[in-house]
Amino acid sequence: MASIHLQNLEKRYGAFVGVQNMSLEIADEEFLVLLGPSGCGKTTTMRMIAGLEVPTDGKIVIGGEEVNEVDARDRDVAMVFQGYALYPNMSIYENIRFPLRMRKIPASEHDARIRQAADMVELGAFLDRKPGALSGGQRQRAALARAVVRQPQVFLMDEPLSNLDAKLRQSMRVQIKHMQRQLKVTTVYVTHDQIEAMTLADRIVIMNKGAIQQVGTPDQIYSDPANTFVAGFIGSPPMNLIEGTAQNGRFTAPGVSAPCLDHVRGKVTLGVRPEDCQVGGDNVQGMVYGVEPTGDTTYLTVRAGEKMIEVKAARDYRSDIDQPVGITFDPAHLYFFGEDGQRIRGAA
Amino acid sequence: MAKARKSRGESLLLRYLVLGGWALVCLLPILWFLSIGFRPRTEVITPRPIYWPSFSLDAWRLLISDWPIAQYLRNSVVAVAGSVVIDLALAIPAAYALARYDFKGREDIGFYILSTRMMAPAIVAVPIFFLFKTLGLLNSVWALMLIYAAINLSLVTWIIRSYMLDIPKELEDAARTDGAGDLTILREIIVPACLPGIITAAVIAAIFAINEFLFTLLIASTSKAYTMSVALANFTGGSDGIIYNAIALVSFIAFVPILILVILIQKHLSRGLTMGAVKG
Ligand SMILES: Nc1ncnc2c1ncn2[C@@H]1O[C@H](COP(=O)(O)OP(=O)(O)OP(=O)(O)O)[C@@H](O)[C@H]1O
Ligand SMILES: [Mg+2]
Repeated sequence: MASIHLQNLEKRYGAFVGVQNMSLEIADEEFLVLLGPSGCGKTTTMRMIAGLEVPTDGKIVIGGEEVNEVDARDRDVAMVFQGYALYPNMSIYENIRFPLRMRKIPASEHDARIRQAADMVELGAFLDRKPGALSGGQRQRAALARAVVRQPQVFLMDEPLSNLDAKLRQSMRVQIKHMQRQLKVTTVYVTHDQIEAMTLADRIVIMNKGAIQQVGTPDQIYSDPANTFVAGFIGSPPMNLIEGTAQNGRFTAPGVSAPCLDHVRGKVTLGVRPEDCQVGGDNVQGMVYGVEPTGDTTYLTVRAGEKMIEVKAARDYRSDIDQPVGITFDPAHLYFFGEDGQRIRGAA
Repeated sequence: MAKARKSRGESLLLRYLVLGGWALVCLLPILWFLSIGFRPRTEVITPRPIYWPSFSLDAWRLLISDWPIAQYLRNSVVAVAGSVVIDLALAIPAAYALARYDFKGREDIGFYILSTRMMAPAIVAVPIFFLFKTLGLLNSVWALMLIYAAINLSLVTWIIRSYMLDIPKELEDAARTDGAGDLTILREIIVPACLPGIITAAVIAAIFAINEFLFTLLIASTSKAYTMSVALANFTGGSDGIIYNAIALVSFIAFVPILILVILIQKHLSRGLTMGAVKG
């Protein structure tokens, strides 16, 4: 139960910058999700908060106290490691018990706590096994149980559900969220899964190449992206990004024409989400490239010039390829980005 | 289909024949020793071949009544076991430091330690003799224990270190965030995880120590401190001339502990090191 402040945090490996100039305020009891492509510095950030990696620069404050010089064992955080890191010589029971023993929690409480944590991750029947005798998903759940068996100041979870099947992932997601609300422990959570990020997070931090791209609620990240990276990263399929030119309140690109505000001009990128496109009309004039029915919706790929544009069409939409097709954009949901990739605000 | 199976059966048979033949070649001297040890003295030295050997326990009786074999065995066990304990007590922390702590010259120190093994033992034999003489440690099992420990320490450290390097660092990170200190991590995480390596190193050290001859001969100047390796070399059977069947039996007895140790090591060498610790 503590807030976390990162102040200009930086981690360099020689000339390579793993995390750069990261400043972030994580509120007490907040559920914060770090989202970004592989290698963007998520694990490195977590390890610095945990005290397992020494920052090259910057400050880490947990619960109002600067912890740069505090050893990992005294930081009172619990971490789920990306590689599980179960103790191979101990049974799952002993694995989950280890933090309780180390933190000098009275032995009389151990058994009940261990069983509660194991039940939460549906691992009650496997307590006697060694990690080597569990499947990947079971190991991952054991690692999760070991982290949540005590009530630390901070939870750090590095892709704790990445190896589970869809059904189990969904139920564990709900459990984690419920438990976090119940225990009121500040949580930093890393995932690649956007659904996980959207459903769990109070706020999402989008990272790329070691730098924060945007911080905001899931809603803000989705409907108000700060730059082309965030726009192209969030959503599935992600936002269409069409490079073209704007002048006199009109955006044009090969096969594409759309209205824009007067102050948007020069080389710009138009962003529009697949669900804000409609079949018919003339914002885009192109050819059907592919049609993918998924059951509850149909994705249509339109080729305009060299560009592929994804459209979320009606469920029963069907078409042969290479047919001419027009697309209309919802004018209320168009985004424009400048040459530097940053959002041009105030666009219609 | 049937043909393929047959040819596989044939190749399996061939494999057994070749391997069995090789095993026989390797085992023959040992079996021969054993057979000599259980035959009467006269039969062993007869020049004519004997097709049906007779059985006798003469050599056994002679050994037990005339030769302090129990004392030699005890000396061997005390010196060897003690040296292995000393080695492990020193090598495990040293190996951990060399494997994990980042300090200047870490790789160099690791190499220096190993390089003490590269010297020919004869070079240090005389200085060691005078050193032990000055310390008043000649002719004692404790001195042998020390010298065996010193000889093997570098190797034991090196083997354990290489096993420790294979333990994922995340394991220690996890233990640290769980609240464990350095010593707890070493005791509860590292040592169990590299137990196969520790056992391997201990067995190798024990084998070297059992077979150690040069320093044992130098330091154990009388039969009071003789171990099996030196006693065996000195053993001729006393006043009655060379008693081959007794020598064969002693050699076999000296060989048994090593055989047991090798069987032990085999089991541990084939075991996975950190099964299930990490993803994959
Ligand atoms: N010890 C190290 N030495 C050099 N570079 C490192 C080291 N540790 C990490 N890096 C680099 O830092 C960058 C960030 O790594 P990090 O593990 O934080 O990525 P990540 O966001 O967690 O990725 P993933 O989603 O694949 O787990 C990577 O490019 C990685 O290669
Ligand atoms: Mg990672």
